[in-house]
Amino acid sequence: MAEKRKFARKYCKYCEAKVEYIDYKDAKILRHSLSERYKIMPRRLTGNCKRHQEMVELAIKRARATAVIPYIIDTQKVVAVPFEQLQQ
Amino acid sequence: MRHYELLVVVKPTLTVEELQAKLSFLKEILEKNGAVIAATLEMGTRKLAYQIDKFERGTYVVFYFTAPTAAIAEVERLIRITEEFIRFMTVKFENQKELDSGTNKLKKSLKKVMLHLLLNLKKLSKSNKKLQLKPN
Repeated sequence: MAEKRKFARKYCKYCEAKVEYIDYKDAKILRHSLSERYKIMPRRLTGNCKRHQEMVELAIKRARATAVIPYIIDTQKVVAVPFEQLQQ
Repeated sequence: MRHYELLVVVKPTLTVEELQAKLSFLKEILEKNGAVIAATLEMGTRKLAYQIDKFERGTYVVFYFTAPTAAIAEVERLIRITEEFIRFMTVKFENQKELDSGTNKLKKSLKKVMLHLLLNLKKLSKSNKKLQLKPN
């Protein structure tokens, strides 16, 4: 139930902020649509609209290719401060 | 002529002069192929999300330019040959809306701030509640 309530009020936050284009270089904007393990979150959990979800997907894939955000979180190599660069 | 954005990740081991030399080399290539550079953005050296060629850090530089479509293939070929560029990404701006948000920096930064605020509002209010609860 607690899990459900977390995503209860669903609306597209990118629509609210009137985003026309999502820049892949900015990890902070993408963070909202990524899970703890940096997987792309489904629309049913984030509440993103279809249009913005597609923009987010593209931006995330570009960000991964340019090492702005990781492809996977490695359980083998656990670092002390894993997301240091993203918290700036 | 189309609008493009080219991001390159340069090796972190270069000195300042070497880096500038590499960047002017890239600019030369772009201009030789008929590109008109509108702006360059140096994002500085930052930690990579994962290792690339055993490097933990990389210097990010972004070029905004207009160029004929044929130029991109040639520029990318030359970037691939040059060892100092460890990663690159060319993005084509499809329409005016994307272009506006891509190149108009002031507008963009304003929007960014707004978005950050909106996205973090919930978290902030939550953490505030926690803070208020702590003394009890």
